[in-house]
Formats: sequence, structure tokens, C-alpha cells
Amino acid sequence: MSQPTGRTGVEQTDRTGADQTFRDGQPSYRTTVRNARDGFGHLLGAEWTKLRSVRSSVWCLLATVLLTVLITPLISASSSTNANEAPHFTDQFTFVHQPMAGDGTVVARVSSQLNSQEWARAGLMIKQNTTAGSPYAAIMVTPRHGVRLQANFNTDIPGPDLGAPRWLRLTRSGAVITGSESTDGTTWHPVGTVRVGALAPTAEIGMFVASPPVLRVTKTSGGSSTSLVLSLGAATFDRVTIQPNAPQQLPGWSELMLNGGAGTKGAPPANVPSDGDGPFTAGDGPFTVHGAGDVAGYGIPSFPLGDDDIVVNSLSGVQLGLLAVIALGVLFAAGEYKTGMIRTTFAATPRRRRVLGAKAIVVGVAVFVAGLVASLIAFYVAQPVLRRHGYQPPAYPHPTLADGTVLRAVIGTALFLAVLAVFSLSVGVILKRSARAIALVVGLVLVPQIVASLVPSLGVANWINRLTPTAGLAIQHTRPRFDYAIAPWGGFAVLCGYAGVALVVAIWLVRRRDA
Amino acid sequence: MATTIEVRDLRKRYGRTLAVDRLSFTVAAGRVTGFVGPNGAGKSTTMRMILGLDAPDGGAALVGGRRYATLRTPLCEVGALLDAGAIHPSRRARDHLLWMAHSNGIPRRRVDTVLAMVGLESAARRRGGGFSLGMRQRLGIAAALLGDPPVLMFDEPVNGLDPEGIHWMRGLLRRLADEGRVVFVSSHLMSELEGSADHLIVIGRGRLIADTSVAQLLAAASQDLVVLRTVQRSEAMTALASHGATVAAINRDTVTVRGLPADRIAALLTERQLRFTELAPHRASLEEAYMDLTRDAVEFSTPDTPDASPVATEA
Repeated sequence: MSQPTGRTGVEQTDRTGADQTFRDGQPSYRTTVRNARDGFGHLLGAEWTKLRSVRSSVWCLLATVLLTVLITPLISASSSTNANEAPHFTDQFTFVHQPMAGDGTVVARVSSQLNSQEWARAGLMIKQNTTAGSPYAAIMVTPRHGVRLQANFNTDIPGPDLGAPRWLRLTRSGAVITGSESTDGTTWHPVGTVRVGALAPTAEIGMFVASPPVLRVTKTSGGSSTSLVLSLGAATFDRVTIQPNAPQQLPGWSELMLNGGAGTKGAPPANVPSDGDGPFTAGDGPFTVHGAGDVAGYGIPSFPLGDDDIVVNSLSGVQLGLLAVIALGVLFAAGEYKTGMIRTTFAATPRRRRVLGAKAIVVGVAVFVAGLVASLIAFYVAQPVLRRHGYQPPAYPHPTLADGTVLRAVIGTALFLAVLAVFSLSVGVILKRSARAIALVVGLVLVPQIVASLVPSLGVANWINRLTPTAGLAIQHTRPRFDYAIAPWGGFAVLCGYAGVALVVAIWLVRRRDA
Repeated sequence: MATTIEVRDLRKRYGRTLAVDRLSFTVAAGRVTGFVGPNGAGKSTTMRMILGLDAPDGGAALVGGRRYATLRTPLCEVGALLDAGAIHPSRRARDHLLWMAHSNGIPRRRVDTVLAMVGLESAARRRGGGFSLGMRQRLGIAAALLGDPPVLMFDEPVNGLDPEGIHWMRGLLRRLADEGRVVFVSSHLMSELEGSADHLIVIGRGRLIADTSVAQLLAAASQDLVVLRTVQRSEAMTALASHGATVAAINRDTVTVRGLPADRIAALLTERQLRFTELAPHRASLEEAYMDLTRDAVEFSTPDTPDASPVATEA
């Protein structure tokens, strides 16, 4: 039975008057807040307010910039090059030649060419003399890059994308050399005209064959090494005619293997079979000529620039900065689950997909801006350091933002960070716990890189590098390199795939699970 | 349309536990409605389902006739304080309200208005992590009031408040109800609602036990019960029992009498010349009424859940 103690019941009874005051159908309370809206812009404003009003988020954005920028001089100073100390040209080929005095024309048909290397050359050349490095002009066919007119180790004029069999013609008129090509020897199409200023009155003229060495990459555990392997080109010429403008006695063909320039440091073409050194028999062919090496210099595509991608070197500080981005993305989501604020968020905006969309846009844009600042500063900080370490023209032309690939690398670095932030945010939503989510994303970013560097197979390593979120860093690439596993936009698409899938899963989960 | 919270046949299961079991009630405007039940009775779960945070396994929860998830500017329709601790420790109080205001397009100045309403103007620029529990409750109330909504839900708002805070909270609840709003306040202690609630919804183990006004509840609990204080206890008990009353001894000189009105008892005792020092109809406290109620609820509970006696163990 109840104890006779309470007295507050009296007050309670007095309060019941309120029961009669408001009944169904009577006007009820209306909010005094006018013009409340639920537009997506308001949602972006709300999420931005959340982001900027928490110190850890602001610190993460600052840390992204600071880590990226501060590590940049160290990374830039960690490599150096002596590429510019090597000869700036290579002049290594087999030349079947004879002197021609004054102006004239040489015509030949390249009836076949061995596809020994994509840049293998077979064609006609006029050259100051048989000294390596002397001025020249040449028209040639290549297995993969069509007809080219090249001169003086620095000029390259592409012609039609056609190979052997092909008629070629080289015409000298003073210092001006014109190259033409033809399918049938009757209808000629000019490829271009070059000026070879230092050409002597009597120059060597004839057929040449070259085939640049092939780059071979050997993957070892913890690294990879590259070596150049000799490739041997071969081509057959026929219908060879020399028509000097001034009547003269032509001495007949002789064959010579030039070996000069940068190629001297590589494998000497000692094992190139001679097609009978010394004078060739007179006539118009057919001649089969074998040759190794390259006739090229900076400005001619087959001549390798320095190995290093100095834009990547300038921007690789982002590998440290991305840790702050991961923390930011994860905390922006998981932090709400930790405090329970996610309920306030979803109570304020029951349309959860829009909330996640707004969160992704806000964190993505904020990180993009911070990333762009970091990327631009790092790029400019790195350049003088790189120059001091030998990265100079001509082996390493100065990169500028006016160059599309460089601009893509700099802006792409910021894009990479922005998409990584969206990925981290989504993982934060999926896992709800910041520690787990950060560990997972950092692991996904770092572990495959480490594993890839340890596996002794380049193929496996490349596949690993293609499949991790850091494949997105390929967007920093400004030149082809043997160890690049994926194309710039392809790599970025891989990262976007990760972020997209994670975001879709996060939205799906958030809509179906209780907050 | 009348402003109400309407819960119809609501069900929610977490794993093997039935948290809310076919719960139905309506909360009307203009009065403070207490939502009472022991810890684990399903109060918070019900409130989360009303706010569309948890999806019911069956039934529906409607606010002003609509599902919460369909509201476009919900902060202007329903204000809720679920968990005062759910604030980011490094975010300033004002920023916490500001992002909420942004999300529903509520004007900025409203943030300062509600901060003033709860007496937090001076703490507006302080970070939530340094707030006492009382300050957090006030910030949570401010957040609930941000959209000036006609429906308000507070989950255990008195929890952790000092006496001054409790007094303030009671006054606020009263004022909000008097303005014609729905005020729905949960508590696991009936005593916390004394002096503020007009109507009660009592649940236990996820089921509705009572949906009654406080006045009716107290009247029912106090019915026919008379407290008698007399030194001649046994004589009095015998005399009253012989006239059909149920008499129970409370202590050495006090008994409670049920079944006879007070004036009849007085006449009987006077007739037998039995002296008494006190004779008063008993007014039960809300707590007692609640105990009675939950005890009854257990006694008359359906037999399909033989172990369902959480209230009985407490009563």
C-alpha cells in the first residue's frame, strides 16, 4: 500500500487546466522562423561551417600544405643527374656512301625494313663527311613512326605515317636540303626542307641504316635496373640513283660504320655483320645494309631525354601530405559518429544522401584548394633545388605550367588529394570508427607500394601499382618511363573508382542503417 | 492540422530484444506530456523513430500527420534534444547552432536569439568540450528551439541539472506548452516530472502501460484511501473491518483504510469512543501512483511473455 507522504499531487491537479486550452482543430503553434529553406546550397553551407569550426579539420588542411611543401626540398635534393655531361648526340649507323660535288639528287627505294626497333631508320643521307658528329640531313622510313626528315641531331620533320616499301628522294640545293617520298617513284610528295649551313661543296651522300638500342628493365626485389640492349637493323635498297647537277666522275659505293656520340658509351656495334667492307660493286642495287645505333640528339624523339620525371620529383612531397588528407576525410565523417552528432545531422536533414553528397563536395573542394596551394608551392620550391642537382636543359628542359602535361600534373595533384579525401570520408562513414578507417585507408595507400617495390617481378609490381588508390598519382607523370604502370588519366580513374564505389556503399549503408 | 506526435502500432527489434512492442499513443499540443518508463523501456528508441533516425520494424510515427523523413525544414517543425553530449568538443557553441541553422536555411540572428533564451550568450564563443553537463543541456535546448518548432521532444532533459537548472527547465517546459506547442519529455524517474507534466505516457518493456492525465492518475491512486492515526490501533482496525473496510497497519499508530469514506470512519470511531489524532484522505504522490500503475501493469500483462516483469522487480 502507498505511503501517505506525497503532497505535490495538489500542484499537479491544478495544472490540468492546460488540458482544456488546446484541442484538436484549434489553431496550434506555428513557427516564427520565416523563409526556412532546405536547398542544397544551405546544406553545403552547413557542412562547410562544420568543417571550418573544428580545429582538427583546419589543422589537417594546414598540415596537408605544410607536409607537402616542407618535404619537397629534401626529396628534390635526394637525386641528381649528370645527363648533361654525356654527349648531346649520337652518330652511330652504317653508311653506304660516295662523295658528290655540288648540288644534286639521290633517289632510292627502301623495298623492305626489319622492325628491329620502333625508331629503326633506313633511308638516304647527305653528310658533311664521315666524321662522327658532322652536319647531315636525312630522309628515312621507320617501322613505327612513318617517314621523317631529320637534320643536324636537332631537327625532326614528320612525314606521312607510312613505312617500307617506299621511294625516298633527297635533293641538295646549296645549303638547302629537300626530302620527298613516293609510293611509286613517279608521284613525289615533299616531306620538308631543312638548312644544313655548314655543308661543304663536296659532301658524302648515300644510304644509311640505324637501329637504336632497346631499353630492358630488370626488376629485382627492392628495385629495378635498366640496361640498353643492342638491336640490329636491316633494310634493302634498290633503284638507287645519284644525279649530280654538275657532271662528275662518281667513285662508287663504300660502306662505313660510324660510331660516335653518346652511343660510344653503350655497347659498341662490333658485332654488326659487314656486308663487305670497302667498295661496293657499282650499280643500282639491290643493297642489303645492316646497322645498329642511332643518328639523333636532343630535339629528335628517339634520343632519350634524362630518365627522371622531374615534375614527379617536384610533387612527390604529396605522398606525405596525403596522410593529413586521409585523417581529415575520415574524421569529417567518423567524428560525427563518435560524438553522436550524426543524429543531429540526420534529424536536421533527413535526406541522408544529400548530406553525404554535401559532405563529399565540401571536403573535396576544401582539400582541392589546399592541395593546389601545396602543389604550386612545392613545384616552385623544387625547381631551383633540382637545377642545382644537374637537372638542366638540354637533357632536362625547365618545366613550366604553360606545358599541358606539367599543368595537368600540378592541378592533378590537387585533384588526387580531393578524390582521396572523398574516398577517406566514405570509408569513415562505412566503418564509423576513425582509427579503423584511417588504418584501412593508409594501409591501402602505403602497403601495396611497399609490396610492389619488394616483389621481384615487374609485371606483378605494375599490376599492384595499377590497382591501388595511389595509381591516381600517375596524373603527375609528364613523360613516359619504364616503371610507370599506368597512364595519367587511367591512374586517376582508378582512384576515382575507389572513391566512387566507397561513396555508393556509404550512401547505401547510411540510408538503410539506423543513425 | 493539429500539431501532434502520433505513434501507431510502432515496433522495433534489436537482435533478439524487442525494444518497442506495438506502441500507440498521441501527444497533444498545449500540455507537457511526460514519457516515463524505467531504463531500457524503449523511450529513446521511440523518440529516435519519431525523428526518423531509426527505422521502425512495423507501424508508424507521425509528426503533425507526416513522417519525419518527409519534412523539408524539420528543425522548424520538430525540435529535439536527444543527447546533450552529442557535440564536437572543439566546436564553439555558436558554430554548433550555426551549422544547424544553415542546414535548414534559418536566419543567422536566430542563433543569437536562442543562445539568449537558454542563457548561454556569454558562452557562445566557448568550445563545447569545456561545457558542464548543465551547459550542454542548455545548448541542446537551444538547438531544439532553433527553428521555433511547434513540436518539441526532450530525452531526459533534467538529467544532470542542478536544482536551479531543474527549476529553470520546469519553467521552460511550462512556458513552451502554454504557447500551444507539443512538449514531449522523457524521464526514467517519475519524480523528475512532478510539477511539470500534465499528461503521462508510461511504458515498460516497449509496451504502453498507461496514457493518462496526471490528475486522473493521482485520483485513481488516491481513491478511497484514508490515513488514520490512533493510539488504539487494534480496536480501530477491528471496528472498521467489521464495517467492511480494508485496513492495513502502516506502523505502531497508523493505519490506512480503504472502502469507507473519511466522514463515515470518523462517525464510527466517535461512536465507539476510540480516540484518533489524525484522519485524512490520502493524496498519493506521482511516484506512488506510478508504482501502483506499473505493478498493476505487470499483474495484468499478457501471459505470452512469462519473463516480462521488469517493472515488478522495481516496484
